[in-house]
Amino acid sequence: MGDGSSNRTNSNSNKPEWLQQYDLIGKIGEGTYGLVFLARIKSQANRGKSIAIKKFKQSKDGDGVSPTAIREIMLLREIIHENVVKLVNVHINHTDMSLYLAFDYAEHDLYEIIRHHRDKVNHSINQYTVKSLLWQLLNGLNYLHSNWIIHRDLKPSNILVMGDGEEHGVVKIADFGLARIYQAPLKPLSENGVVVTIWYRAPELLLGAKHYTSAVDMWAVGCIFAELLTLKPLFQGAEVKGTPNPFQLDQLDKIFKVLGHPTLDKWPSLANLPHWQQDVQHIQGHKYDNTSLCNVVHLSPKSPAYDLLSKMLEYDPRKRITAAEALEHEYFKLEPQPGRNTLVPCQPGETFVNYPTRPVDTTTDFEGTANLQPPMPVSSGAGSMPGGHGSNRTVPRPMNVVGMQRMPHQPMQAYNLASQAGMGPGMNPGGIPMQRGVPQAHQQQQLRRKDQMGMPGYPPQQKSRRI
Amino acid sequence: MADFLTSTHRAKWVFTPQHLVEKYRAANQRARQVLEKCGATLMEIDVDGSLSYPEPQTSVKANAEKHSRTKPLSIDEEQCIRVFFENKIQEVCKSFQFPHKIQATALIYFKRFFLQWSVMEHQPKNIMLTCIYAACKIEENHVSAEELGKGIQQDHHMILNNEMIIYQSLEFDLIVYAPYRSVEGFINDMQEFCNADDDFLQMLKTLQDTARSEVDKMMLTDAPLLFPPGQLALAALHNSNALHKVLDFDGYLSSIFSRQNPVHRESEFIESLNAINSLVRKYKFPERKEQNHINRKLESCWGLSSQDESKKREKKSKHKSKKNSNEAQIAPS
Repeated sequence: MGDGSSNRTNSNSNKPEWLQQYDLIGKIGEGTYGLVFLARIKSQANRGKSIAIKKFKQSKDGDGVSPTAIREIMLLREIIHENVVKLVNVHINHTDMSLYLAFDYAEHDLYEIIRHHRDKVNHSINQYTVKSLLWQLLNGLNYLHSNWIIHRDLKPSNILVMGDGEEHGVVKIADFGLARIYQAPLKPLSENGVVVTIWYRAPELLLGAKHYTSAVDMWAVGCIFAELLTLKPLFQGAEVKGTPNPFQLDQLDKIFKVLGHPTLDKWPSLANLPHWQQDVQHIQGHKYDNTSLCNVVHLSPKSPAYDLLSKMLEYDPRKRITAAEALEHEYFKLEPQPGRNTLVPCQPGETFVNYPTRPVDTTTDFEGTANLQPPMPVSSGAGSMPGGHGSNRTVPRPMNVVGMQRMPHQPMQAYNLASQAGMGPGMNPGGIPMQRGVPQAHQQQQLRRKDQMGMPGYPPQQKSRRI
Repeated sequence: MADFLTSTHRAKWVFTPQHLVEKYRAANQRARQVLEKCGATLMEIDVDGSLSYPEPQTSVKANAEKHSRTKPLSIDEEQCIRVFFENKIQEVCKSFQFPHKIQATALIYFKRFFLQWSVMEHQPKNIMLTCIYAACKIEENHVSAEELGKGIQQDHHMILNNEMIIYQSLEFDLIVYAPYRSVEGFINDMQEFCNADDDFLQMLKTLQDTARSEVDKMMLTDAPLLFPPGQLALAALHNSNALHKVLDFDGYLSSIFSRQNPVHRESEFIESLNAINSLVRKYKFPERKEQNHINRKLESCWGLSSQDESKKREKKSKHKSKKNSNEAQIAPS
């Protein structure tokens, strides 16, 4: 783990040694932490194996190596589970101190699967697939929770599903950038900033809980379960951005509309939550009388699926069902029983859906620099990209991201500003044609960063022995 | 926290005494060879981030001259230097009032780092500060490099320059288990084992406090690289109980070993206990005179002794020209 090889260029190529192990196919996602690329292994042993490479942006100036990257690495080094994404390597680009995490590539994720059903095939996801996806998600989560790790950012786009191959249809929980070990935290967890995408955020977080628990992940699983059933986010609140305050009235309102108001009777510790006390008029502003979760998700109130869902969406985190308990729920014991390949039902008669593969932007190189020349056709592995590489592949569009936040569509030039300096000129990953004259903004970024790192002019060592 | 049984700590960072000796020997040997070849041993982090040893001396005369006055550190001398800086880690962390956990993590990082490298190759003062910085980051008590540097009047760029090489040398195994938490766990367990009343709880508190300072002592030896944290904690409690006589320790031991799987036997623990105590007994903080002597030797290995001031200046200017050429390269072609 962590190739120790130097970054020096050799005589054959200008690419750093680690990068020469891969053929870069293109960019498959971007988020606040950086970019994700699809690459294929060149070496004989695993030739053609797809790898997702997550490139972290440099953290704040003077803050050294990205804490998000370091946190994700340190957790993933310790956890090995079939339903958790596998970190296969860590590569270092010394020049700008950026890290590249190499993961086993997953072709699908729940966001895309749900979207495909909603926008393309127009029918719901079959029962077997919903149940298997949920079971494996809970199985991975149970492993994490029993290792004292809270994920804190579960949402459909972070739940990956493997494509064709030995692990076809296996669920992988991804993106541990916000995950925390919750044993004896040195600081209250809430000091790390508000987490969890708002739609999947548990009510105790919205009401300002300081010490929260693995139950926040179970709330998110409940929301995802409902979304798998209805193809629509269950609580689609409008987020008030830019507030350090966890209180999001619209989100709470969306929850109350479906589940009714929480009461001190059913949730005694509610009284201790800061925003329950402070914002009581707001919270109680609307009265929702005819609330009904079963109507929203179209389940009979007596069905085991509804029983499980309502236990995941229990207001009181202490009463909310745990991952371990959920795995034992009756729902999973009834036909159709969950299976390993979530996408291919064992029973005949169930509809088999051919999910599209992840769109790949072949015009962006490892530095995130957009290439304005026409892209070269992707030759290797074209078979695994149904739909070929027609016009849709050459146009960057909001893309599915491996464990990253979805970003609105950005014009290509914008990548330059966000891109990272440093792998040196002349590097051309994957043999993809690159634009030679780099836009001005990009260069300035490069120069400035070098200065901040204080490397070039930094005197070798100080002799001071004041400590 | 993630389970120790499946941890990288257990799988990769608990060594046999022989293995430890081999690792120290290998690092020392490599530094000696570099000294012979290059006349100095200190590695530099280059502009492109890669590590390199000093340029080999070209002039035969200079080489011969150098040879006659620069002697490598012995393995024992390297140990002295490490011991000195491990004490510094405890000092610095105390002065910043960092939680115990951070101090322990920084110490373990420092120990693991100098299993891979000799103190002749990387300046332990810089590594020590970077280990503290990294430990703060990992233990979620983030302190900016600048803040840390200011507090100890050191240039924080040095910390940032070394950060990546530390993670890399630790092979990105960054979750470490210190015995302090295990001590706490055993104390809780003892409460149940003994059906504690208020007086007894007070005694357990005393037992715990002494055990913690016992762990402090162990943390300065090789013990954390040789034993799992649970054994260190139990040894610390054993020693503490020998002083305070709070409970029937043998009885308690039998109770925990009977509850555990047969992998751990009491006799094995007694063996570990003796080995740990012997490490603590043998621990010696170097005397000032000895320390000064080794320091002078070390500085000359680094090529940073006072006679080399002119060379240092030369290096600086070389650095500058390198920077310029680098800038030129970045310009669009």
